[in-house]
Amino acid sequence: MTKFNMTRRSVLAGAAAGTATLGMPAYLRAMSSEFIIGASLPLTGPFATAGQLIAPAFSLYEKIINDEGGIAGTKIKFSTEDSGYVPQNALANYQRLLASEGDKVVAYYGDSTGFMKLVGPELKGDQARMMTSTSFASDLANPETHPYQFMSGPTYEDQFNILLQDIAAKGGKTVAFVHSNTEFGTDPIKSGQAKAAELGLEVVLVESTKPQGADIPTHVTKIAQANPDYCILQGYVTGVWPQLIGGARQFGLTTKFMGTFWGMEKLIADRVTAEAGPFLEGYQGVMPYRYSYDTENAPRLQQIAAISKVALAGTPLENYFPTWGIQAFASLDILTIALRRNAEMGKAPTADNLAAALATIKDVDLGGYFGTNISVENNKVGTGRVYQYSAESRLFTPTSDWLTV
Amino acid sequence: MINGNLKATYAADEKIVDNRYKFSFVWGLAVLAALLPIFANDYVILVACQVGIMVVAVVGLNVLTGYTGLMSLGHAAFVAIGAYGVTILHHAASALSIPEGIQPFLTIPGAMALAAVIGLIVGLPSLRVKGVYLAVATLSANFIIIFLIELDALAPWTGGKTGLTTVDPSIFGWVLDTQREVFILIAVMAFSTVLLVQNLFRTRVGRAFIAIRERDYSAEILGISLLRYKLTSFAISAACCGLAGALMAYFYARVLPEQFELLLSLQLVAALIVGGMGRTMGPVFGVLVIVLSPELLKVILSAIAGDSIEAAQFRAPLQEIIFGLLIIGFIMFEPLGMTQISDRVFRALNRWPFARG
Repeated sequence: MTKFNMTRRSVLAGAAAGTATLGMPAYLRAMSSEFIIGASLPLTGPFATAGQLIAPAFSLYEKIINDEGGIAGTKIKFSTEDSGYVPQNALANYQRLLASEGDKVVAYYGDSTGFMKLVGPELKGDQARMMTSTSFASDLANPETHPYQFMSGPTYEDQFNILLQDIAAKGGKTVAFVHSNTEFGTDPIKSGQAKAAELGLEVVLVESTKPQGADIPTHVTKIAQANPDYCILQGYVTGVWPQLIGGARQFGLTTKFMGTFWGMEKLIADRVTAEAGPFLEGYQGVMPYRYSYDTENAPRLQQIAAISKVALAGTPLENYFPTWGIQAFASLDILTIALRRNAEMGKAPTADNLAAALATIKDVDLGGYFGTNISVENNKVGTGRVYQYSAESRLFTPTSDWLTV
Repeated sequence: MINGNLKATYAADEKIVDNRYKFSFVWGLAVLAALLPIFANDYVILVACQVGIMVVAVVGLNVLTGYTGLMSLGHAAFVAIGAYGVTILHHAASALSIPEGIQPFLTIPGAMALAAVIGLIVGLPSLRVKGVYLAVATLSANFIIIFLIELDALAPWTGGKTGLTTVDPSIFGWVLDTQREVFILIAVMAFSTVLLVQNLFRTRVGRAFIAIRERDYSAEILGISLLRYKLTSFAISAACCGLAGALMAYFYARVLPEQFELLLSLQLVAALIVGGMGRTMGPVFGVLVIVLSPELLKVILSAIAGDSIEAAQFRAPLQEIIFGLLIIGFIMFEPLGMTQISDRVFRALNRWPFARG
């Protein structure tokens, strides 16, 4: 039988250790060995292509940050799950991660506007974490209603604003808005109409269509009747390009077509051009970030290009990283700044503290995603510029300066 | 050798749970549900709530498809009516200064009644068409209801495409503002619904439903009004789904139109087929399989393949394939569903050691 010896020395040592633990600042107790960043991505389902293209960004980012020594000495780790683009699945993923990893989870990357809206009211007390996502929905950029959710680019309303300013600057007089009958499609329409009026542009057509489908040619007729100088497409992930833009070209229309973030991916534009012809020549749109091949003065993009060449050798992403992944990178870099500043202030990485740290990001060089220093205001970065696609070079090249709205 | 159970009284004959193994199983489940809010973590509570809500909805579908033999592919519409209905009714009740503590006693039945009325309308084609044709007719209900919810003209009430922030119910001043508290309400409602529907089929109405399922012409010749009973079946079924919708609205902080699309209708049908149509425990077993399998697959595959991003990219489609194979397996090897398997297990236990099923 073991005899329990209690000496004066052991009592003193125990008491000292106990006092040290109890007296330790709360943030040190909350500090974990690693920061876990959770993510739900549509790795299956209707948007699986997008999810599968975004996913490599997380593993590359994990490598970049951990090779740099982590965030204030703490390594990061991603925990990614499939959502199938179903908001409830993403919510279950989020809560499963919180239940298994608890305080180690410092942030979450959501896969849709639907998820961000569903989870928003749940972010209370110990269930709250800082969040960013694939969404640029205008409703989300509101610290009053969504204090823990931010986006690394302009909202769809801001993107319309940038496009309309560009149209006005280039002497355009009339514009049409063609949008899908989804939340994504209708998001910026009302504010776009107001902005157009303010800029002296006449909105000659506002047309709602299905996100994809066979009735698109009827809408082309309407565009032909209105014959606008510019036509902005919103709420499509390119499914309608051949019917709408190709159809308009067959009509002999000279209308210039434009799009927003999700309609600006080079991989898709290249595929459509290869399959359906060069009708996307001259297609323009707003993009908050530089394309991954535009690495001049962009050290972070150079770093991504270098690491992709090795880590993604033999895949289509070896020489070009999609804009959807760049968005994830930019969001994560903003999050990293917030985590670093929070750690420097000696605070625990709670959602409230990180939201406060996020609000301090003003006039920061993010490493070249944007061609200008950026600020996080109203939980968004309202900066972007207009790019134009060339069917010959298969590249999007800038046609405007960086605009911040 | 045991050939059966001796029933010496009418009371024994009328017992729902007629042997001690079934008794232990049912009450074991009830005790487990009662203990969950005490020891389970938030994730387990989330999944348990999803199971509870789905059970109520599938019990509703079972009334129509399992017992009355009428196929429906549009029951998500009734869930949507319940979810939006209960939220809108809460706002209306607050506008009328009805105390919050008693509002759920009005809004839940109100949402169920609304779903039942819509169920009656959707059920009208069942008087003329059956089988696949009826399935297509009900399918349209799903699309029409989602279209109406998203309609700009109704957006001031329904929130349109952006959805509606829901209300935390207050029961005599006890505000159910955590998922744990809502779970208690969901568990009570799920248990009550299963019990009530089980008892429905010991009444004249329930037997009329079964007669219609077996052969509707014969049932009519026997004096059962097809108009009355088919529509009653639709109304009861829709009301149960309306209750599921109301619970869903209480559980999630927001309701969005995309939560009630065709996928949900198909999940309800799949759960019913896997569980066993026209059986009391069918919806319970079916929902357990449909809701828990993907979650278990995620946990198991993540334990095997790790939770790295590359593994997640590989695991995600694999999970879907395994889940699909599981459903196909059930339909091929046990078309009568999980209930049939549980029957065999209970029979074997009851007669052990003399027989094995």
